[in-house]
Amino acid sequence: MIRVHDLAKTYPMPGGEFPALTGVDISVEAGEFVAVVGRSGSGKTTLLNLLAGIDRPTAGQIRVAGIALHEVPEARLAAWRGRAVGLVFQFFQLLPTLTVAENVMLPMDFCGTVPARRRRPLALELLSRVGIADHADKVPAGLSGGQQQRAAIARALANDPPVILADEPTGNLDSSTAEAVLGLFRDLARAGKAVVMVTHERDLSGYADRLVTLVDGRVAEDVAVSA
Amino acid sequence: MRPRTVKMWRDLSAARGRVAVMILAITVAMSGVGALLIARTVIVREAEAVYAGTNPASATLEVEGGVDAALLAQVRARPGVTDAVARQTVLTRVRVGDQWRRMLLFVIAPDDPMRVAKLRMESGAWPPADGELLMERTAGPVLDAAVGDRLAVAGPSGATTEVRIAGTVYDAALAPAGQESVGYGYLTPAGLARLGFTASADELRIVTAERDEATVAATATGVAAWLTNQGREVHLIQVPPYQHPHHSQSETITGMFLAFAIAALVLAGVLVAATLGAMLAAQTRQIGIMKTVGATTGQLLRVYLGAVAAIAATATVLAVVPALLAGYGLTGLVAEMLNVEITNRATPWWAPAAFFAVGLVVPLAVALVPLVRAARITVRSALDEHGAGTRVGTRRGDRWLTRLRGGRLSALALRNLLRRRGRLALTLALLAAGGAMFTSGLNSSAAWRSWVDDGMARRAYDAQLRLAAPASVDTITRAASVVDGVIAVEPFVSLPATPASADGQIEVERTYPDDGHGRFLLAALPVPTRMVDFEVTAGRWLQAADTDGVVLNQSAVSRLGDPRVGDEVHLAVDGVVGRWRLVGTVAEAGGPATAYTSPQSVTRFVDPGTANMLHIVTAGDTAAVTGAVEGALTSAGLTVGESMLTEDLRTAIDEHVAIFIGTLLALAALMAAVGILGLAATMSITVTQRTREYGIMQAIGARPTVIRRMVVLEGTVTGLLGSLVAISLGVPLSILVGELLGRISFGLPLPLRLSPGGLVGWLLLSIVAAAAASLVAAHRAARLTVRETLTYQ
Ligand SMILES: Nc1ncnc2c1ncn2[C@@H]1O[C@H](COP(=O)(O)OP(=O)(O)OP(=O)(O)O)[C@@H](O)[C@H]1O
Ligand SMILES: [Mg+2]
Repeated sequence: MIRVHDLAKTYPMPGGEFPALTGVDISVEAGEFVAVVGRSGSGKTTLLNLLAGIDRPTAGQIRVAGIALHEVPEARLAAWRGRAVGLVFQFFQLLPTLTVAENVMLPMDFCGTVPARRRRPLALELLSRVGIADHADKVPAGLSGGQQQRAAIARALANDPPVILADEPTGNLDSSTAEAVLGLFRDLARAGKAVVMVTHERDLSGYADRLVTLVDGRVAEDVAVSA
Repeated sequence: MRPRTVKMWRDLSAARGRVAVMILAITVAMSGVGALLIARTVIVREAEAVYAGTNPASATLEVEGGVDAALLAQVRARPGVTDAVARQTVLTRVRVGDQWRRMLLFVIAPDDPMRVAKLRMESGAWPPADGELLMERTAGPVLDAAVGDRLAVAGPSGATTEVRIAGTVYDAALAPAGQESVGYGYLTPAGLARLGFTASADELRIVTAERDEATVAATATGVAAWLTNQGREVHLIQVPPYQHPHHSQSETITGMFLAFAIAALVLAGVLVAATLGAMLAAQTRQIGIMKTVGATTGQLLRVYLGAVAAIAATATVLAVVPALLAGYGLTGLVAEMLNVEITNRATPWWAPAAFFAVGLVVPLAVALVPLVRAARITVRSALDEHGAGTRVGTRRGDRWLTRLRGGRLSALALRNLLRRRGRLALTLALLAAGGAMFTSGLNSSAAWRSWVDDGMARRAYDAQLRLAAPASVDTITRAASVVDGVIAVEPFVSLPATPASADGQIEVERTYPDDGHGRFLLAALPVPTRMVDFEVTAGRWLQAADTDGVVLNQSAVSRLGDPRVGDEVHLAVDGVVGRWRLVGTVAEAGGPATAYTSPQSVTRFVDPGTANMLHIVTAGDTAAVTGAVEGALTSAGLTVGESMLTEDLRTAIDEHVAIFIGTLLALAALMAAVGILGLAATMSITVTQRTREYGIMQAIGARPTVIRRMVVLEGTVTGLLGSLVAISLGVPLSILVGELLGRISFGLPLPLRLSPGGLVGWLLLSIVAAAAASLVAAHRAARLTVRETLTYQ
């Protein structure tokens, strides 16, 4: 589902080029849950942005959900992203003026994947899958952090994308809520999605299948998580 | 509803205040656009309709000795001529109370078929009895009379005869009587003879099959040549444009005003764009999120354009009623001013379509750039926390800024102001454009007034009198100067003249056959004269040695085809062509086209030492003294044909443009309103965008009053800067408007005059409005709690 080969990304800085990623090789299959860890500044977010097509690589190949991201023009990526990738952020990033259900319906609207009359029932279904169906008609500000993150996950699933990318989704949650969210991602992987999650959580056993460790923009370790 | 549409509505309703300002700005501008669209289309069409409805003559030939029925029949048979009538126009006076008024008598034979230059009877019947006349419907106030009243009309000897007003007519080809301060009467040759005048139908009016000027001129010249062959003398050929006499003026002026109104609309569009741009800038992150869930640039752009369209459509619909009220109000005023009867008030079919199209398209077009910019932002930069921030310290201005250190409030406010250079530029542009048009409206009106004041001040005389026949200068001077209250008397010669060509041929004139529009005078003033001191625009004024020198005023210059100083000028008086050398040109406010020359150069037209007019300077009640002078002249055996007070001339001049100045001022106010709204909108945007910053300042101990004072200071400085830019931009704009307004009313650009009231008014208005707008915004900012401001999105 995800094939990354010899990926590099450098940022232009006043003092010269800054290499955020160098020679990264990673593969993620459908049904796999991969956790990416590393110190602050090691390039985790950079990698995720490249996988989501939000940023362009400086060198290397990157194939996600069947398309070669390094070859496709920027303009075509938006629609692809809406269908192929579900994104989850640390700060939830729900639109404040829309209700939770409307937030979930938004990707269906933009991508035209679901007929208008089917959108709300589908959104409610997704919300009950993440356990917050009761809050469907509240605005995000009325929800707790954990509930907002569940809503964000429901939104990431709106178009049933094969790939889920999450950047520190538990960073703003207490440990028991964080575990529930990790459980959700594990279930998504079991259901066949390729899940890549950047995290600072220490104990991922029982959730992630593999652990990729980045150090200074290089893959230092890529190991299976022991159960 | 689609979630994206829901989001747009919620965002708009959350920003209710700003949306209201945007709508108001467009509504105000569209009211102006609509009003002028109505006035322009209806007036121009109706003026043409009533004018064409009179079946005006294609050409008028002045034939010495008059045209009788037999000759008329022959003229009708000339090639190219489809119809012909012979009329006569006599300028005399009428006694109104204890004053004289000018009176134009239009003489029409009882058997005139009334197919050419038609009149419409409003009351009474044609022809009137010998002791009666019909009055033009606008002449009532000038003559202070109504149907059934008797008028004391002067004959050639000055003695008056009573004539009864038997009814009224509508003559669409004439300007309103009040505007020209002249009474219009219609009577038969017998009625004219009863007053003592010789009836002689010397104006031959012909209608040609083709109305284009070349054909008409050729036909008229052919008829003139034929008449000359018949031994008749033709003094004048007039071929007026086949248009209402005020057609081009009303078209130019309403066009200029329409341009002003559209400029106001563009301004309102800029305001909308700026406000939306700011609202979207605050939503950058949300745009990024929408893009991560699959929104394309095109989709977002359509949502935002939808918002603008909704705002513009609401505003345009709201503008319909004010536009109709103002438009028909203005139409009525202009119609009255042009003596045009509106029979069809409907606008052409395309006018409502154009109104709605302009109301939608202009705001959308102006808003397109900021909207595209906002919608095009990449997810990367929308969600970025790195490097996308402003790089302070690179530009020269920034380095200067960082030097403005210290905790002082003013320094901080100034730095804030300059930090958002784009926003500041926009606010200033809005204020400046609004203010420039506001001040130029007031400047033009001041220029108008000062030009007329100056024109009046350059006339030393308080009244001018015309004698029925030339008389000895000594007799005139002796008779007039003994009258109590007369300070100075200066007799002179003034003769109706006609531009002629170098070979002595009478030229075809492009003027109208009424006496006001298109008169040309040859005036021989004493050299030097004490009575006029016109501004010399080229060459010089007359000198005693100039035996054949002539000085033309601007109307005469354009009538003679823009001759240059040194050129030869040819004028015909009563069919006799004379040659002069152009020594200079002057600017003259009001008055007909005039060629000024010396008494010795007119001796072939009048006896030396005689004059037919006099200027007088009076002390005290001018009207009374002028009346006494008339009495003295009559006692000396002279007949006074006309007297005109200088102050009446001024009234006539002012009447001609009163509405245009009024409209200009109304539009100026409209512009000011849009400019101020723009300022209010941008001030509130600025404050909202800084909410977080104010929270931080409060968190580190700044009191709300300090913040409020800072914001107000920033707003006031913006207002001050904006009005300074406005005032300087207003100068070239005033020149432009003055050029246009002056050219169509006087044939000369108006001088640049700065209206102190306008300048100070705008300065105060924008500063006060800026302070008020920022105070409101600051009040809100200072009231927010620290926690609220820090979580503000
Ligand atoms: N737009 C940018 N311009 C310049 N440098 C950047 C940019 N984005 C990231 N970097 C640099 O690239 C490196 C990797 O950044 P990245 O955001 O991927 O780190 P991270 O592993 O996600 O860190 P954290 O755990 O703190 O989120 C950092 O040193 C960062 O400063
Ligand atoms: Mg990161």
